[in-house]
Amino acid sequence: MFEFEFMRHAFLGCTIVSVLAGTVGWFLILRRQAFAAHALSHIGFSGAAGAVWLGVSPLYGMIAFSLLGGLAMGNETKGAGTLSSQRDSMIGLVLAASLGLGTWFLHEANGASSMATTLLFGDVLGIDTPTLLALGAVTVLCMAGLAFLGRPLLFASLMPDVAQARGVPVRLTSLGFMAIAALACSACAEVSGALLAFSLMIGPAATALRLGLRPIAGLSVAVSLALFLSWGGLALSWVTDVPVPFWIGLGAAACYGIACMVRR
Amino acid sequence: MAHPDNLSLDQVTLCAGTKTILDNVTLTVPMAGVTLLAGRNGSGKSTFLKACLGLVRLQSGVLRLKGQPPEIACRQIGYMPQGLSDTALMIPAISHVMAAMKGARWGIPLPSRARRENAERLLALTGASSFARRPLGLLSGGERQRVCLAQALTDSPQTLLLDEPLAALDHEAQHQIVSLLDTLTRDLGISILMTSHETEALDGKVSRILKLKNGGLHV
Repeated sequence: MFEFEFMRHAFLGCTIVSVLAGTVGWFLILRRQAFAAHALSHIGFSGAAGAVWLGVSPLYGMIAFSLLGGLAMGNETKGAGTLSSQRDSMIGLVLAASLGLGTWFLHEANGASSMATTLLFGDVLGIDTPTLLALGAVTVLCMAGLAFLGRPLLFASLMPDVAQARGVPVRLTSLGFMAIAALACSACAEVSGALLAFSLMIGPAATALRLGLRPIAGLSVAVSLALFLSWGGLALSWVTDVPVPFWIGLGAAACYGIACMVRR
Repeated sequence: MAHPDNLSLDQVTLCAGTKTILDNVTLTVPMAGVTLLAGRNGSGKSTFLKACLGLVRLQSGVLRLKGQPPEIACRQIGYMPQGLSDTALMIPAISHVMAAMKGARWGIPLPSRARRENAERLLALTGASSFARRPLGLLSGGERQRVCLAQALTDSPQTLLLDEPLAALDHEAQHQIVSLLDTLTRDLGISILMTSHETEALDGKVSRILKLKNGGLHV
C-alpha cells in the first residue's frame, strides 16, 4: 500500500493531524468542551463552503471560519449562570449562525454538492503536497501555542477560580486555546471530514482521561491512540474499501468503551 | 491606614448585583493569626473574599491587604473557594496540586522531582498523602477539601483566604483541619481569613471575628 504516493501522503497527513488532535483534544475534554470540538469542525465546513464559492482552497476557508468561531467561543466571562452552560449557549449560537452561512455559500456555489460531500466526510486519500505543508505549518503553530500557554492553561482548566485568584489571565488563556482548537479542528477535518473531525480529537482524549492518568501520561496516551486510530483507519480502509472516517469513528467509541470497562 | 499586617478598607462600597454588601465602610484590622469572617447566609462573605483577591470590583473606595491592592496581594495569597470543585475529576489529586505551582507563568510545566516532592510534602501536611494518586472524582468531600487546602498552600503564600474550609467535613476531620490551620499560623506565620459556620470547631483558635451585617463590617 505504500507504493502509492497518495497512501504515503495519507499516512503522513494522519500522523501530523493525530499528534495535534490528541494533544488539543485532551485539553478540550479536560475543559468539558467536547461540544466546541464538534461545533468548530462544522463551522469550518461553512468556511470551506465559502472558500469553494470564492474559488480558493477549502482548507483556508475552514481555518478562517474556525478561527473566528473559536475566538467567539473563547470570549467568556463569568457572569450569571455557570461557565459551562454559558459556554454551551455561546457555542450553539455561533454554530447555528455559521451553518446558516454555510448553507447559503453552498447555494451560491452552483453544482458544489460533490464538494460538499468531500468537505463533510473528508478526503484523506486526496491530500497533496501543498496541503501536507499547510497541515504541518498549522501543527507547528498550534504546538508552539500550546507550549506557551501550557502552564496557565492546565491550571485554569483544573481549577478556574483558584487560577484566576492567583493572577492567571483566564480569559486570555481561553481565547488563545480556542484559537488553537479552531486550527486543530480544521486540520482534523482535512483527514476525517467536518462531520467526524471531532471523533479523532475527542475519542482518544476521552479514553485517556477516563483512565485517570496524570497530564503528561494522559497526553501521551491520547496522541498514541489518535495515531493508532488514524493509521488503523487508513489500513482497514485499504483492505475493506470502507471510508476511513467510519473506522476512526467506530474505533474511537470502542477505545472509550474499553477504557470504561478497564476503569469501572 | 496601610500597615503591612493589616486589612484596611477606606470608604469601601461593595455590591453583588443589586445587593449592597458593604456600604461606605472604613475599617482597619490586623491580619495576624486566624480571622473569622462571620455573617448569615447570603450576607456576602464569599463576595468579600473575592474582592480581597481582586476577582470582584469594588463600587467605590480602596481595599488593601497587607498594604497592597488586591491585584498585587493576590500573588501571595492561597485561595480555597467554597464548594467542591467539579472540574477535571478524572485527574489524580497530586496533579491538581502540581498544576498550581507557579501556575500563572507561561510555558510548559515540565516534570520535575522537586515539584513532585513539594506537592507530596503539601499533601502530607494536609493529611492527603494516602489518596494523592487517586482521581479527584473518587475522593470524598473531606478528602477533596484537604487536596484543595494543599493546593492553596502552593508557592508558600503569606496569607490564606479560605471559604468554608470546614464544610462537608465530619467532626473529627474538622478538628484535624482546625489543628492544621493553627499550626500554619503559629509555625509558619501564615495569616488566615476564613468563613465558616462551624464556629464550635474553631473555639479558642480564632484571633478575631469580623461580622458582616447590614452593609457594615464590625470587629
